[in-house]
Amino acid sequence: MMMPDQFPPAFVFFVGAIALLLAPQGHARSALTLIIPIIAASILWNMEPGIYDRVEFLGITLELTRVDKLSTVFGLIFCLAAFLGNLFAWHVKDTIQQVAALLYAGSAIGAVFAGDLVTLFIYWEGTAIASVFLIWARRTEGAYHTGLRYLIIQIGSGVILLAGIVLLYRETGSLAFEKMTLGTLATWLIFLAFGIKCAFPLLHNWLQDSYPAATVTGTVILSAFTTKLAVYALARGFPGTELLIYIGAVMTVFPVFFAEIENDLRRVLAYSLNNQLGFMVVGVGIGTEMSLNGTASHAFAHILYKALLFMSVGAVLFRTGTSKASELGGLYRTMPLTTVFCLVGAASISAFPLFSGFVTKSLVLDATAENHYLIVWFMLVFASAGVLSHSGIKIPFFTFFAHDSGKRPKEAPTHMLLAMGATAFLCIFIGVFPEPLYSILPYDVEYHPYTTSHVVGQLQLLLFALLAFCFLMRTGIHPPEIRAINLDSDWIYRRLLPSWISAISVAINAIWSKNLGFWTRKVDALIVRLHKSHGPEGRIAQVWPTGSMVLWIAVLLGATLLVNFV
Amino acid sequence: MANKKKENPESFPWLGRKLLWVDKPGSPLKLVWILAIVCILLGLADFTYNKYGHFSFENVPAFYGIFGFIAFSCVIFGAKALRFLIKRPENFYSPNVVDAEEYPPEELEKVSHDDA
Repeated sequence: MMMPDQFPPAFVFFVGAIALLLAPQGHARSALTLIIPIIAASILWNMEPGIYDRVEFLGITLELTRVDKLSTVFGLIFCLAAFLGNLFAWHVKDTIQQVAALLYAGSAIGAVFAGDLVTLFIYWEGTAIASVFLIWARRTEGAYHTGLRYLIIQIGSGVILLAGIVLLYRETGSLAFEKMTLGTLATWLIFLAFGIKCAFPLLHNWLQDSYPAATVTGTVILSAFTTKLAVYALARGFPGTELLIYIGAVMTVFPVFFAEIENDLRRVLAYSLNNQLGFMVVGVGIGTEMSLNGTASHAFAHILYKALLFMSVGAVLFRTGTSKASELGGLYRTMPLTTVFCLVGAASISAFPLFSGFVTKSLVLDATAENHYLIVWFMLVFASAGVLSHSGIKIPFFTFFAHDSGKRPKEAPTHMLLAMGATAFLCIFIGVFPEPLYSILPYDVEYHPYTTSHVVGQLQLLLFALLAFCFLMRTGIHPPEIRAINLDSDWIYRRLLPSWISAISVAINAIWSKNLGFWTRKVDALIVRLHKSHGPEGRIAQVWPTGSMVLWIAVLLGATLLVNFV
Repeated sequence: MANKKKENPESFPWLGRKLLWVDKPGSPLKLVWILAIVCILLGLADFTYNKYGHFSFENVPAFYGIFGFIAFSCVIFGAKALRFLIKRPENFYSPNVVDAEEYPPEELEKVSHDDA
């Protein structure tokens, strides 16, 4: 029996999930989902750096709680995200979603504080299993199949991680979750496992496939944990790995184009999430104190503004039944507060001065420039203009303004407004007063985002891009929102591979049938031939009269007598 | 829609009524002009202070503005080309896809703003 010397914050969520089942459904239970992250946050806020809760398990020592500044900043934002997400989901009376949200947040926090790779693996799989219920809770055939695809990929990531851990243990004899260097099969496997969860290019499409399939509130919860856990794991395991700079740069650019033509606004936000992860991955790849601070701070700010955007689109879905841009427009009339909160999220993700994205993304951009990655820097600035196009403009404009859809839904419920309001407040607070966030970052770096050059440059980038949008809209060049889907890499495993497997199966079936037919015909022919020669009507049967048999028996008898007596 | 009920903007929330200005004839164009003037001022602002960019080309006046305009246009043209290649009907992966099915209504509260 383990006696924890520091009650692991993750366990607060697990105990809370059990307590939740005992609480009556209603406000008491909803309140409990808010109290749990507050307790966990207060515990981890008061934890001193160090390693706690060592447990012997199958001959190995697990370190359940490793506290340092990197794990604390991610732990804190996960608690905050759980609180805000659960506040947004106050109305939900579905026990499955309530429990899944707590177990999911707890697993993500447990993984962040894991001091060894086995503990990381256990929590890694925990996030996969708990989170899929937020998709299945939609309770449709489509959500069920999407959830299965999601689960296979997430569990696959865990299995690859386990394989890497086993190989690493055989090579080094250590299970410590520390900085690794790419080179052996073990480290490559671990890197790949992290890459799947981090939605690296071509490994990314589980994200855009699954997040729009979750429930209204489930998507808000989903957006916070899995991918940022992967960013944390990369920052812990592979800081300064140059390959990550290029992977991250590609991640920032390619989703921009997909997001621009996507009709489902929750999928637009999933592409946008992918794009923002790219900035964090670049920060990890550069690996300097400033860039890692950029990654941690951007993850912190990103979780908030991304949750805010998912909340605002979720509120619209909750009130109208759709999150498709082609069906929406003009909602500012009756959902003005949701509109304002969405605009705050849009300004934050676009990194307008005085909003959170501005004070965090610039750390990564400046680190890229300081380390002379010119092309990567260009890609990041290009992607910054691209972010404005889909998250800064498309989401608020086509939902709340643009053409009037004629929909006049009621404003979002009070608890949703409170959740969005609190999140919007934090987005602005971080943007105006970045010092409190900077003070909890992993490294002590002095950074001043509000220089004239930086503010004017960023405003130029965004407002000229906005001007381009106005020009393209008024000239009719901007692509319209239409009911359609767009192919992405999931086409490979949803269409291409099944069609190949089907073709191979048809070919094998044909070969087997021909083979079987050939031998069947041969055996049939042999039986027919034998029947012809030896059957009742056969020629050989015809020359076997009874007399000849008696004669041959007499011959055999004679031969026997000769052998015995001669 | 002949039987569409006549709408009363007075029933909108206060902030919604205030924002109705954006849909008045001429308002969008006014906003574009204001934006254009702000952009020009931002471009001119580059002449008023010393820039300390990491790269020399950052010191070109209105560099970020020009880059932003071009980058945004590239995104739009690139996206249009991409749509031409990858657009498919919503039921492309049917059956069992969320894109072609309605969100379960029992999970929602579809209420109009003037419902009691």
